[in-house]
Formats: sequence, structure tokens, C-alpha cells
Amino acid sequence: MNPALGYGFSVLGLSASVLGAVAGAYALITGRLHIMKPVRQWAWLVFVSGIGTFVIMEIALFQRDYTIAYVQKVGSSTTPALFNFAALWSALEGSIILWALLLSGYVAAVLVKFRDRATDPLMGWALVIMLAISGFFFALMVGPANPFLRAVVPLGFDGPGPNPLLQNHILVAFHPPMLYLGYVGFSVPFAFATAALITGRVGEGWLIETRRWTVAAWGFLTIGIVLGAWWSYEVLGWGGYWAWDPVENASLLPWLTGTAYLHSVMVQERRGMLRVWNLSLLCATFSLTILGTFLTRSGVIDSVHAFSEGSIGPWLLVFFAVVAGGSIGLIAWRGDELRSPGAIDSPLSREAAFLANNVVFGALAFVILLGTVFPLLAEAWNDSRLTIGRPYFDSLGRPIAFVMLFLMASAPVLPWRRASTELLATRLLWPAAAGVSSMALAIAIGARGLYPVLTFGLGGFAAGAALRQVILATRRQGWRGFVGRTNGGMIVHIGVVLIAVGVASSEAYKTDRSATLLPGQSVVVADHEFTYLELKADENDRRQRIYAEVQIDGEDIYAPAQTRYLRSGMVVPTPSVRPGFSEDLFLVLDKTPDDPQGPVRLRIIVRPMISWLWTGGALMGIGSILAIFPGKRRRGTEAVSAVLAKAQQNSEASGVSPADVPSVTGASHG
Amino acid sequence: MLGLMTVFLLGVATFGSSGPREGDERIQYLNTIYACPQCDGQSVAESNAAVASQIRDFIRLKVNSGATDQQIRDELIRAYDSSVLLTPPAEGVSLLIWILPVVVAVGGSAFVVSILRRRQDGLREATDTDEELVAKAQASVSSGGQ
Repeated sequence: MNPALGYGFSVLGLSASVLGAVAGAYALITGRLHIMKPVRQWAWLVFVSGIGTFVIMEIALFQRDYTIAYVQKVGSSTTPALFNFAALWSALEGSIILWALLLSGYVAAVLVKFRDRATDPLMGWALVIMLAISGFFFALMVGPANPFLRAVVPLGFDGPGPNPLLQNHILVAFHPPMLYLGYVGFSVPFAFATAALITGRVGEGWLIETRRWTVAAWGFLTIGIVLGAWWSYEVLGWGGYWAWDPVENASLLPWLTGTAYLHSVMVQERRGMLRVWNLSLLCATFSLTILGTFLTRSGVIDSVHAFSEGSIGPWLLVFFAVVAGGSIGLIAWRGDELRSPGAIDSPLSREAAFLANNVVFGALAFVILLGTVFPLLAEAWNDSRLTIGRPYFDSLGRPIAFVMLFLMASAPVLPWRRASTELLATRLLWPAAAGVSSMALAIAIGARGLYPVLTFGLGGFAAGAALRQVILATRRQGWRGFVGRTNGGMIVHIGVVLIAVGVASSEAYKTDRSATLLPGQSVVVADHEFTYLELKADENDRRQRIYAEVQIDGEDIYAPAQTRYLRSGMVVPTPSVRPGFSEDLFLVLDKTPDDPQGPVRLRIIVRPMISWLWTGGALMGIGSILAIFPGKRRRGTEAVSAVLAKAQQNSEASGVSPADVPSVTGASHG
Repeated sequence: MLGLMTVFLLGVATFGSSGPREGDERIQYLNTIYACPQCDGQSVAESNAAVASQIRDFIRLKVNSGATDQQIRDELIRAYDSSVLLTPPAEGVSLLIWILPVVVAVGGSAFVVSILRRRQDGLREATDTDEELVAKAQASVSSGGQ
């Protein structure tokens, strides 16, 4: 029953998407806008199908319905409910279900939000694009990645359950959905951008309409990435949170271009400039989510995260080519109308700072993309095998991160148009003093080394600038000083500073030691005494656990373990962490003896200020939410110059398209 | 004043740090620059694979017996191949991973400079619209004056 129902919903989703996209495009091209009404109904059917496939698969997982091949792969009678629920996205086919569910959810949200504008061509094309995208993902479910394939059930069969790494931490229930909400969320601004290109309404309208959607998608992606880092820290057992693994890089790439877009979009809203650039960034962001999916789900790159591989590689590559090629083509086609002769008045202005921000984010995205795909290209080129890892990304990423922190410190105090150096000196005084004080404080409590101390200084500088903005805004506007894009953005900046400081100190002042200890023996690492008490074991119907009881500083007892999952036979280390505000103590059981009285090998990792990363991530999430709330309405800047304003008035009176004349936008957008 | 303090503090930070890495610290560092041959891109410090553990033990043994960094590097390359290095040697086709970012950085900066320069060009040359407006204004002034 379940396989048939699930497959039925997949087919329904595919048909409704394709019919809706084709009929919608036909209606919009021929001007028969009354057809848009059934198109909206089909779009609702897509939503129903998305929910249908998801619910059926969850029911099948909970019923342990092994007539479905996917449930045979990831289901097991012993998996606890939470991990069984999360097992849906623990392999390729199920990830596609999650993707389709969220995408159809966004389609429904767009339908509700813009329900009064069913016949608006911009809205219509955006819906067509979203239906086309959902058509692709439902096609994957009907064809090459069918999650509802039937299977023969051997007598007494019970499945292995999800990969052990995906069933021993609660974050597995939150990290993938958050990440996907981010990835998929970018399809909304992408759809509107494409619609703007198709309809020729390339002004600022589409961009303002999707502003909150973009911030929301970005916020989800941010939270998803941070939760992923946290999961990696708690589960993988090497004491780190970021390995420059291809899957991690693939999630960072759209985040970087998305962040660049969030900033440069403000230049377009206020000054009407950078239209081509913003469209390109948005298209790049969406294309990169598809490219990331291809790189990590096609088996082209091995990775510790590649839990799910299948035969969908060529499909994703073709879809990526269509998305990227299509957007480039559309932008080139509308090239003439996208030109905006507005100019940047001074390098000392917020728009110039945003431009610099974009170059820096673009450069980092390029470095990460290059480092991720270069080994592949080199192998294809002359069969050379090479590895690119942390030292490469660190050495190129570090200087770029410093420039980012510096821009984060100086840009928020810059006014639009131009600033005098005196004004800058006044506004930057307190932030700079905060920066110098944080360096002095760091050195006073014993921090050494150029890179970490420079990070503390620039971090204090940037946090000072962000706090200055929030304080000034709250003084002027009360609680409203915390909401709105600018103020919410400053909260996000403070979160970024916390992460930067956490990364710098946890990397620079890390202690990583191995110790082989007999019961009762102690070792001192980074001023903490670790005493190995004894080896214990326990067992349930799902797993066997061997754990070493280790007492830290004569107080609490921690128990790093090695866990063997009975169904799959895999052994994974389960670290034990004592978290703290100033440092985390991280214990891994490296080697266990056959004889319980024999020596165990422990890996003891002490990393300062790790918790700042998670705090910073939470702050970035809160800042994103605050940025979505409407802030104080403000008027745009005045026209670029009286001459240009006059010229625009004349041309508007004479019916010339606004795109042909100097753009003097801003006044009408808040 | 703040600038001077910054220079001073960064100086203290740089020269106050201890000299070359020794003992455990050196082992910890070396673990982070070699790739675990089975785990595609992870360092031996980061991996729990058996082979990573072996390489960690090998590095510890070598450091404790007084081998130089170069000797350890050569032996590891001989045992596996140069893909055991997490940063490819800057030679041949791998040079590109260092050159291309520089090209992009320079190109990006040139792009920004060109946008900033556009302003100055715009300021120097009056457009036809400007000329027209000036002519109109002059005409209205001269007609209004009579």
C-alpha cells in the first residue's frame, strides 16, 4: 500500500509541476491570464504531493514497512523514534523527499503571500520557475532516485537502521532540515529574479518583494551550517567542527555568495546600481546549491558526509547547466536594460564598502570552490592524485577573513554617498578603542601569536562598530532599535565576531595529546588532571558500548566510549565533552585493551572558547529574525544630482522607459 | 595614539610567542599537515581511521627519535605518494591553485577601481543633457532679466 501511495504522490507532484509550469508559461506568453487560476490550483496540488510523499515515507519508516527498498536500507526495528523519524533524510532518496517537501512548502507560502496578485506577470513567472524546479525534483523521485521502489522482503528481515553516525545525536533531527530550508529557500528570490529578467521589470521591485525571503533563507542556511559544525564536533570525535570537507564546502559556497548578495542588494535599493551584479550573485547562489548537491550526492567526490550516493549525478549536472546557462543567457539578453549609470561618489562611502565586501566574499567563494574541485580537475587532466586540505584553505582564508573583519568594523559607520575623514575619525574612535582594548586584554591574560591577537583586535573593532549602531538606534527608537535590517544585521555581525574569536582561540591555543593509561593512572594536560578509573561496558538491543570512566580534576566523571552498532557492525567513537565558557575538555577513547585491566589510550583535546562558536551562531540566527521584522521606515537618499533628476522627469514625461535614463532610485523604497 | 598602541600590542603578540615548535606541540602540528590516505582531505589529526592512527604513531616515533620535518615528509611521500600532503607541492599543474586566487583578487580589485574611476570620468565630461539644461537655464535667465 505505502509504495503505491508514495509513488502516486510523486507522480502527482511531477504532473502538477509540469502542467502548472507549461500552462503558466503559455498563459503569460499569450496574455491569457485567466489560465493562471488553474495554475495556482496545480501549484497547491504540488504542495499536497510534497506533504504526501513525506508523510507516506514517515509512516512506512514507523511501520517498518520493508516492502519499500529505502526502508530496508535505513529502517530497523531497534531505532528509537527520533532517529527513525530523521532516518528519512539519512540517505539519497529520502533527502530528495525532504527537498521536494520544503520546496513545495515554499511554493505554498508564495501562493499565500502573493494571493492578491495572481495575474501579475512577475508573480506568474516566479510561480512558473518554482514549479519547474519542483518538477525537476519530483522527476528525480519518479525516475532515478525513486524512494518508493518495491523490494522483496526476506523472511524475518530487519534492517540495519541509519548510518551509526546519524543515530547517536539529537542534532541529526535539526541540522539537515535547517540546511535544506536555507538551500531551498534561495529558490524564491531566484525565481523572482528570473521572473524580473523575463518580464523586463528589472527595476528594484522584485528585489524588495523578496528581501525578507532572502534573509529568511540566509538565516536558515546559517543556522544549518552552525548546527552541522556542532554535530561534527559532538559526534565525529576528533575535537574539531570544520574539516574543509567537500560537503561542508558545498554548504559554505552558497552561503558566501548569498551573504555578498544581502549586502550589495542594499546598494541597488538605495542607489539603483549593481543590477547585473546582484542578479548574477543570486543566480550563482542558487546554482551553487545545485552544484553542491551534485558534488556531494553523485559520488564524484568521496567525503565523510557522503552518506548518500546514487545515479542522479548526470541529472543534477544537466540541471545545474540549465540553471547557470539559463540565468547567464537571460542576464545577457536584458543587458541593455540593466545598465544603471549611477556612480559611486567616493571610496569612503557605504556603497564602496559594500563593493569591497563583495570582492572579498567572491574571492573566498572562489578559493573554496577551487580547492574543492581542483583535485577532480587535476585527476581528469593528467591523472595526478593530489589532496587539498586544511592548510591550503587556512592559509588563503585567513587573510580574507581579516579583510572581512576590518570591513565589518568600518563599513557600518560609513554614510551613503561620501564621508569626510573627520567624520570617520569621530565615528570610529570608540570602536577602534574597543579593538585596541581587546588586544591589550588578550595579551594581559597571556594570549600570544600574531594571528589570534589580530583577530581579537579586529573582532573588538567590529563588535564596537556594531554595538555603536545598536546603541544609537535604541537611544533614538527604543526597542525598535533592535529590529529592522540594519539593526538585526548588526546583531548578526556581533555573532560573526564571536565565531571569529572562537575559531581563532580554539585553533591557536588547542592542546591535543594522546595518553596511554592503566586504571588509576593520571595525566596532566593543559593544567587539568585526567585520571583513568576503569573500563566498563553496557549493551542494549541496538548497540554495545565500551566506555572508560575518566575523572577530571578529581571532580566529575566523564565517559568517552566506543560504540558498536549491532545491525551494521560499525564501531564509532563517542566522545565525551566537558563544555565551558572559556574552554572545552574533549575526551576520545582511542584504543581499548582486550583485558579490562590493561592500558587504554585516550585522546585528550583542550580547546578554549569553543562555546563562543555556538553562541555566535545562535546570535546570527536571532539577528536574522530581527532583520526580518520591519524596522523604522526611512526615506531614500535624494537624487544623484539635480541634472540627472531633471533628465529623468523629462524622459518619464515623454514616455521613455526608465531603464534608458540615469537611474535615480531610492526615494520610493524604504 | 591608537595606531601606535596597535603596533606595540601586535609586536608583543608576535615576538612574545615561543620559538619553534618542540615535542608534543611539533607532533600536534605535523599531524595536521598530512592527509589520511583513505579519508579524502582529512588530516591524520582529524581522522579516526586506522591508517590515520598508524601515521600519527609513525610521526610520534620519528619526532621522538630526532628526525627532521623534511625526513618525515620524505618518508611519508615514499610510503604513500605526494597525495599524503594536504597542501600540494607548488609545482606543475598544482601551481594553479596558488596563481588563480591571486588573479581573481587582482581582477576583483581592478573591477572595484574601475567602478570608482567611472565617477571621475563622469564628472569631467558634461553630457548632452547637461549642455541642454545649461543652455535652457541661460536662456531663461536672459529672458527673465529683460
